[in-house]
Amino acid sequence: MQITRRKLLGNAAKGAAAAVAVGGVSTAALTGVVHAEEEKVAPVKAVGMLYDATRCVGCQSCVAACVQANNPTADARLDAQRQAPRDLSDHNRNIIKLYSPTDGEQPSFMKQQCMHCIDPACTAACMFKGLKKDETTGIVTWTGSLCVGCRYCEIACPYHIPKFQWNGFNPKIVKCELCKERLAVGKEPACTTVCPTHAVIFGTRTELLAEAKRRIAQNPGKYYQDHVFGEEEGGGTQVLYLSAVPFDKLGLPKLGNESVPGKYLKWQKRLYSYLLLPGALYLTLATFTRKSWRHHEEHLKHDEKETGLRQQL
Amino acid sequence: MSQAWQRNVPVYDVPIVTKPLLAMLAFGAIGLVLTLYREVVGLGTTSGMTDVYAWGIWKTISTMVLTGLGSGGFAIGIAAWVFNRQKLHAVLRTSVITSFLVYACGLTMLGIDVGRPWNFYWIMMPWKWNAHSPLLEVAFCMPLYTCVPLLFELVPAFLEWVHETFPNYRAQIAIADKIVRRVFPYLLALAFLLPAMHQSSLGALMLLAGNQVNPLWQTPFLPLLYVWAAAYMGFAFVMAVLLVAHLVWKRAIDMDVLSEMSRITVWITAAWMAFRFVDLGLRGSLVLAFAFTLPAALFWMETALLLASILLLVRAVKEQSPKLVFVGSLIASLGGMLYRFDPTTLAFQPRPGSFYFPSAMELTINLGILSLGVAAFCVMVKLMAFLPASNEKFRAMEAAQTKAADTPLAKIKFALFASAD
Repeated sequence: MQITRRKLLGNAAKGAAAAVAVGGVSTAALTGVVHAEEEKVAPVKAVGMLYDATRCVGCQSCVAACVQANNPTADARLDAQRQAPRDLSDHNRNIIKLYSPTDGEQPSFMKQQCMHCIDPACTAACMFKGLKKDETTGIVTWTGSLCVGCRYCEIACPYHIPKFQWNGFNPKIVKCELCKERLAVGKEPACTTVCPTHAVIFGTRTELLAEAKRRIAQNPGKYYQDHVFGEEEGGGTQVLYLSAVPFDKLGLPKLGNESVPGKYLKWQKRLYSYLLLPGALYLTLATFTRKSWRHHEEHLKHDEKETGLRQQL
Repeated sequence: MSQAWQRNVPVYDVPIVTKPLLAMLAFGAIGLVLTLYREVVGLGTTSGMTDVYAWGIWKTISTMVLTGLGSGGFAIGIAAWVFNRQKLHAVLRTSVITSFLVYACGLTMLGIDVGRPWNFYWIMMPWKWNAHSPLLEVAFCMPLYTCVPLLFELVPAFLEWVHETFPNYRAQIAIADKIVRRVFPYLLALAFLLPAMHQSSLGALMLLAGNQVNPLWQTPFLPLLYVWAAAYMGFAFVMAVLLVAHLVWKRAIDMDVLSEMSRITVWITAAWMAFRFVDLGLRGSLVLAFAFTLPAALFWMETALLLASILLLVRAVKEQSPKLVFVGSLIASLGGMLYRFDPTTLAFQPRPGSFYFPSAMELTINLGILSLGVAAFCVMVKLMAFLPASNEKFRAMEAAQTKAADTPLAKIKFALFASAD
């Protein structure tokens, strides 16, 4: 086949027209969503916890209470006796860890459980809303019938909270759900009920934030950077932290103030808004394919005549 | 030996049932038995995955990396149909069968990997979707692509096989052929759109991992770089497959077509590398490449492989050397594979000091399923016309067939054992 200058120019012109069409639609699509997109805020009645690491004595009552409330079957790996857990797992939704530096710096305890982010990465990742943020309480919960077990939540969560049941044919995703069954009958979460020093307390996010700021104001210089972790971090969380040592020493990630989905999925969302861009792309591809299809069919017919062999698509 | 690739001809002079085929099937059977075991006891005892590295090779290699290699149907198809590169029509069938089998393996591995596969039926109910999840996009587009446009692209070869083998049904075949031709261009456009979407979404998967992925890989352009890499990986892998197949079954090579493919591969790779360097430079992440770390070493390994493939393929075109095309395309495939693998595992550091290596059973299941894919490829190219050859080769096949077999049964027997008795 010969490419003549006329054909080349003609094709180029069509390509340019298609490019303009795609560009126009995409600009419309992109600007359309920019307005629809807004920063996510916590529900008015969002509940959460405030953990003050300076008050924690590391007794692990909360760890035991959590297990009792959420997982009555013992971790029977060895002898059916519960052993002190080393990390969050499908048996432990809550854990106390000790940061103990060797260089004589101040040690600190650390409580880990779901942060119940305002704009969670796990729910953004989840395909069928198996992980979902409650619209009134803001609690992130797991629904087994909607979970495919892909474990994308484990990849996405910057706090490494969701845990997978690695054994058995019917695995579940296990994470702190703020004892939602207890809340439903008017009780507090198990861990906040048993804490002897009130290092971890339950409340609405607004109350907790005010309480944290009150403590900072009363004890200037006591808390690291006079800052509440979770007020802004990663778009904000419903579990808040006060600490005397740097937050990253406690295993909390260094996040910007933008939420993970807000920061990283912004463009993905825009590209797919209303499927305008894929639609325009399809039309462009179909236009060019149809053109060369006709051309190709003629080519095949010509070959068939010449060789006497049945044409192949 | 050089001969023009004019049409697709089955590998007719070699029996389908061979010892290597039986070995591959046996290996596949072992994989399937172990899969049953995995379904019963769970992922913990069968794989090396943990809560820190929750994704292992079944997802990160079989789905995220290998479907890049299986993007020939997508990349070569676009070059041939949208950009009207006529020469590439010779290798379209090979690229489509390769893509189909790679995708089928990838999807199988995905099914084995997920913990609660019985809940996947929600994919058919869009009102249950979290439409913004990149994984949903992959989970919807990838099976759809495999089962509709990609499978459809195999139909002409199948109809042709029926036409040749069962002469009594030629009237029906003619009708089917007409329908196929009517819808073909529209399904082709779908066969280009869907991979463009899910291959980029494979990159978008790692966006949500945020700063757990090393900045040498983590960029807002990750989706673009992934689908772009799929383009050169698709070209390179089909070239490699063609050369292996033609070496194993002693068929003639058309350096004209391979040169065209090499040239396109070189341009796509070079532009991709330039884009990546500019992006890294503008984001200020390029300095990390000059640290003495594992990610930096991996980055330079990728760069070196892709650069080497460019040089080799340029020389291959200049010297018209199939050997250099082969080495160059293998190295380009490797470079692309490494690029798409690194951000999922080696340059993905959820916690300092954590590590993942697949368990023996995990590897066996994966290789077992892949060997079934290779076995299916061997059967398909011998049964139907998926590999390019000259018109003379086709005439020689017809002569051999009429001599050996005239009834449909005898024809199939001839294909299976390469003899009619």
